[in-house]
Amino acid sequence: MSVSLQAEPIDIAAEYAALVGKASGAAVTTFTGYVRDHTGEDAVGALELEHYPEMALTVLQDLGRQAVERFGLINWRIVHRFGLLPVSETIVWVGAVADHRGEAISACEFMMDTLKTDAPFWKREQGPEGARWVASRAQDGERRARWERSEGI
Amino acid sequence: MSITIKLFASLREALGEAQFQLELGALPAEELVDGAINVEAIKAVLSARGTNWSDAINQPNLVHALNHKVVYLDALVRDGDELALFPPMTGG
Repeated sequence: MSVSLQAEPIDIAAEYAALVGKASGAAVTTFTGYVRDHTGEDAVGALELEHYPEMALTVLQDLGRQAVERFGLINWRIVHRFGLLPVSETIVWVGAVADHRGEAISACEFMMDTLKTDAPFWKREQGPEGARWVASRAQDGERRARWERSEGI
Repeated sequence: MSITIKLFASLREALGEAQFQLELGALPAEELVDGAINVEAIKAVLSARGTNWSDAINQPNLVHALNHKVVYLDALVRDGDELALFPPMTGG
């Protein structure tokens, strides 16, 4: 039940082992986000991730607590990177452990959807035309809003 | 009153500052609510720094976080608080 904000690549095998290790859950869901080599038709060479460290930690720890309350998780972990990330590197890793698959899957999705709009990170894409800040997407807000409306699973 | 202002992403880049102390000195009584000033009034102070500030600070969808929590324009800011301003978040 913890958060890591780090510049280093995410060691997914180690994270998974630590997540499941002491937990007695029977269902585990994880999500991994990677740097794409394109956005629409534009090539992307690398991603710069700026963050607001103190607030990011507070928001993500609170998000984990909300996921426990809402889905009865046995364990969770959120790892988010910052700094310069080349294409195909990991950006984010979220894991959820629960008694049953429904809770684990929903909790993982809830944490990712909320993280996208609520955690203070900003992406800047580097491409052949130079660098540009990534704009927030309406569909991210819509996915986030679904969790406000629904009562969970 | 001294407030820490933090700017991030495109806002930081446009204004060329990441963090500074905003010293508000003696404030007119009508600006104060319970000895505090609201976020909207602080944005007005920052906007008065010039056109580039006014444009950046008043852009639509700007997010305000007071002591690491997202707040509305009517949130009250007190001496020693940290107010961050930034565009919508795009992590994950």
